[in-house]
Amino acid sequence: MWQKSLNHQNLSKEEEENALKKAPSLRFRFILAGVLVIGIIAGLAINLIFDYSQKLADLSYDRLLRSALLQMDENVGLMRNEVSIDIPWSAFATLAQADEDRVFYKVESLEQGFITGYQDLNSEPPQPPKIDQIQFYNQEYSGEMVRFAWIQRHLTDPETAQTVRIVLGQTRLSREEMAAAVTQKAVEVVVFIALVAITLIIIGSHLVLRPLHRIERALEERAMGDLTPIVINTPKETHHLKVAINHFMARLQTNLEQLENYTADAAHQLRTPLASLKALAENARDITSFGDHSVDGTASERQRQALDNIVRQCDALSQTVTLLLNQAVVSHRLQTHRLEPMDLLIPIAASCREQAVTALHQGVHLSLDCDLKETLILGDSFSIQQMMQNLIENAVRYSGSNAQKATEVIVQVNAFERFYRIKVIDYGDGIPDDEKERVFERFYRGRYDIAGSGVGLAMVKDIVDHHSARLQILDTEPKGTTFQVDFAKFRFDEGVL
Amino acid sequence: MKPVSIWVMFLLIPFMSKAWATDPVWFGDSNAPRVLYINSAMDLASFEPILRAFVVQHPTIKVAYRDVNTLELYYLTIKEQQKPEASLVISSAMDLHLKLVNDGYAQSYQSSFTDRLPDNFKWRNQLFAFSLEPIVMLVNKKAFPGDLPEDRQSLLQTIRQNEKTMTKRIGTYDIRQSGVGYLLASQDARQADVTWGRLLEAFGSHDVQTYCCTHDIIDDVASGKLVLGYNLLGSYASQRAQEDDRLKMILPKDYTLMLMRAALIPKGAPNSEDAGVFLDFLLSDNAQKMMQTQGLLFPIWPDSSSPNDPYVVNAPGPTGVIELDQQLLVGRDYAKQKRFIRNWEMALEISEDD
Repeated sequence: MWQKSLNHQNLSKEEEENALKKAPSLRFRFILAGVLVIGIIAGLAINLIFDYSQKLADLSYDRLLRSALLQMDENVGLMRNEVSIDIPWSAFATLAQADEDRVFYKVESLEQGFITGYQDLNSEPPQPPKIDQIQFYNQEYSGEMVRFAWIQRHLTDPETAQTVRIVLGQTRLSREEMAAAVTQKAVEVVVFIALVAITLIIIGSHLVLRPLHRIERALEERAMGDLTPIVINTPKETHHLKVAINHFMARLQTNLEQLENYTADAAHQLRTPLASLKALAENARDITSFGDHSVDGTASERQRQALDNIVRQCDALSQTVTLLLNQAVVSHRLQTHRLEPMDLLIPIAASCREQAVTALHQGVHLSLDCDLKETLILGDSFSIQQMMQNLIENAVRYSGSNAQKATEVIVQVNAFERFYRIKVIDYGDGIPDDEKERVFERFYRGRYDIAGSGVGLAMVKDIVDHHSARLQILDTEPKGTTFQVDFAKFRFDEGVL
Repeated sequence: MKPVSIWVMFLLIPFMSKAWATDPVWFGDSNAPRVLYINSAMDLASFEPILRAFVVQHPTIKVAYRDVNTLELYYLTIKEQQKPEASLVISSAMDLHLKLVNDGYAQSYQSSFTDRLPDNFKWRNQLFAFSLEPIVMLVNKKAFPGDLPEDRQSLLQTIRQNEKTMTKRIGTYDIRQSGVGYLLASQDARQADVTWGRLLEAFGSHDVQTYCCTHDIIDDVASGKLVLGYNLLGSYASQRAQEDDRLKMILPKDYTLMLMRAALIPKGAPNSEDAGVFLDFLLSDNAQKMMQTQGLLFPIWPDSSSPNDPYVVNAPGPTGVIELDQQLLVGRDYAKQKRFIRNWEMALEISEDD
């Protein structure tokens, strides 16, 4: 059997389009994730570039500054115990390589005070001064950010010792220009790479999803009722999808075939009794019309017999219809109802009660042999009752039709460590071994001399399978058949099985 | 007091009252709504035609032109930094002007005219050169003993050979009073230290006459009081040499210094828009051509089509263009300047309180 969508409805085109609009797009997600990742990476790269270009510019221009400072430092000397400096032209020619940058400097001695330069330039390096070590740092002066180089050293002479400090600064215009140029180039490259990557992702997403579209089209373009496997070539990644669809279609095919067979058989099942009903009815009519003139008692006697036959045939038909309906109900319940904890004995006892009288009519004594109080399993009560009913009916029907008719059918329920065992024992003619496998086939009937629909045991098998129970057909000693069903006990600690 | 200020005071005291008392010369319609104040270290004779042309072209602007000595101009600009009177300051002392810009007294200006200016004729878009002239020697042909000197070496030789004639008859700038005088002396020392030393020694032993201003030297050379003026601005010398037969302008063959005249707009200057307009005018083809054709100044872009034009520099030897960049700051270094002036005074045997 197959499961149908519960509230199946044919979606209108508009609704379908709306649903499509609302549905999340795989491609969009893929592109979004890609763009986000690339964006973050590009952002980090640009951040690094900003930092790096600044450092690079400082590194280059600090060399000029250092060179100029050293040239100045070289020209510091002691003259008549006084510090003097003769700044070389070349020192500032070096600085003039940063064409537009203003220059500030101050030379002083700790002992002698201001020597030359900008007197109000009181700049202290951020780190504690170390003799003979040049320090570079940024500081604002004269309304502009200035890069300073700072050095302090001792000047010694036989007669005097002084500490000279030289501060040389240069505005940052050229540095910023260089950093900006480097940054711009690098950012251009990064942005270009990012755009290329995003384009590749977009193209890639299209290519990746193309096999899916191909499968979609292949399914879309199929003729109605075509359930043959898809044969288009697909890449590895969608191969499993294709295989799954093909399996699904195969199952669908099987189900459809089963349905066709079932419908055909059900029609057949109903047609035969209906045909004989019609024959019997015609028969009864003819009796009436022919025996109009005589007052012969035999005519009315034959007519009554014919009507009896009609009634019996109606009963049989009604039974078959009930069975088919029950089967439909059971099938539906198995598909839609969840298994719940239940007492196994209740449906067993109920079906025994129901069948006891019918059995007696056929001269069979039905007995329930059970001394258990509670038998909890996980199952569906209605289905189990249907199962029992079928098993018992079957047992009663096959108890035998001839003279050595068995007169007893016993239903036993026993508890084992992990399961409950139900036995339905009859003493009829039994089933030959080679047929035991086949009795569960739908519409298989062991013997056509005995009435029956041929669907009862198939339904039993369905119910047993659905409960994951075990069903066995054994021989009864000395003769007859025993149907044995084992249901796992329900255990609270495990929840299921 | 700080040593710098003492120095400044010492230099300025004699001129202060005189310089700032000078009334400006007015150009243009007296009813013109806009006023452009120009402080300039440029003889009006060389500049007047340009100013006239300017006010004709811009009738809504009247110009107040004040002639100030280069060094005074420097201190005046600093003094007025809070509330500058001048909209535009023009000087031939490139070093002082560059120092003003470096120390943050100027504002930026940019136009299509300044953009056209080559990078070595402007700095930071705050300092703009508009002329490039040679530094020359001017001789009185009649008074000069022997052959006219070609270069500094031959000048030294003449001095040695004609000690009597040359004594007290050479004139040059007092580098303590003239900003451009100092610049030229320091550039001489930079270009050729040994020659400069000898020259200075010769000047000292022959009682060189020192002047504050170019035209005084030229006047004395013309009158025969001096036989030679050393390190004069080419534009003035050329102008006078053309008018006066007695004078001969010589571009030294060993090297000829080339000097720019530059302009800046002080920070916070009034009417800086018109200062820009005037600057654009100075840099325009019109004004540049006028400088050359009317023999006012040596333009940046001379029209070299006429080979004998005296306003196209045709130096016999190498030229040393004084570069408009940070190097100029070195010459104006406090310690260097002090030492240089002291050496100059010692060589010229002038005492400090002279």
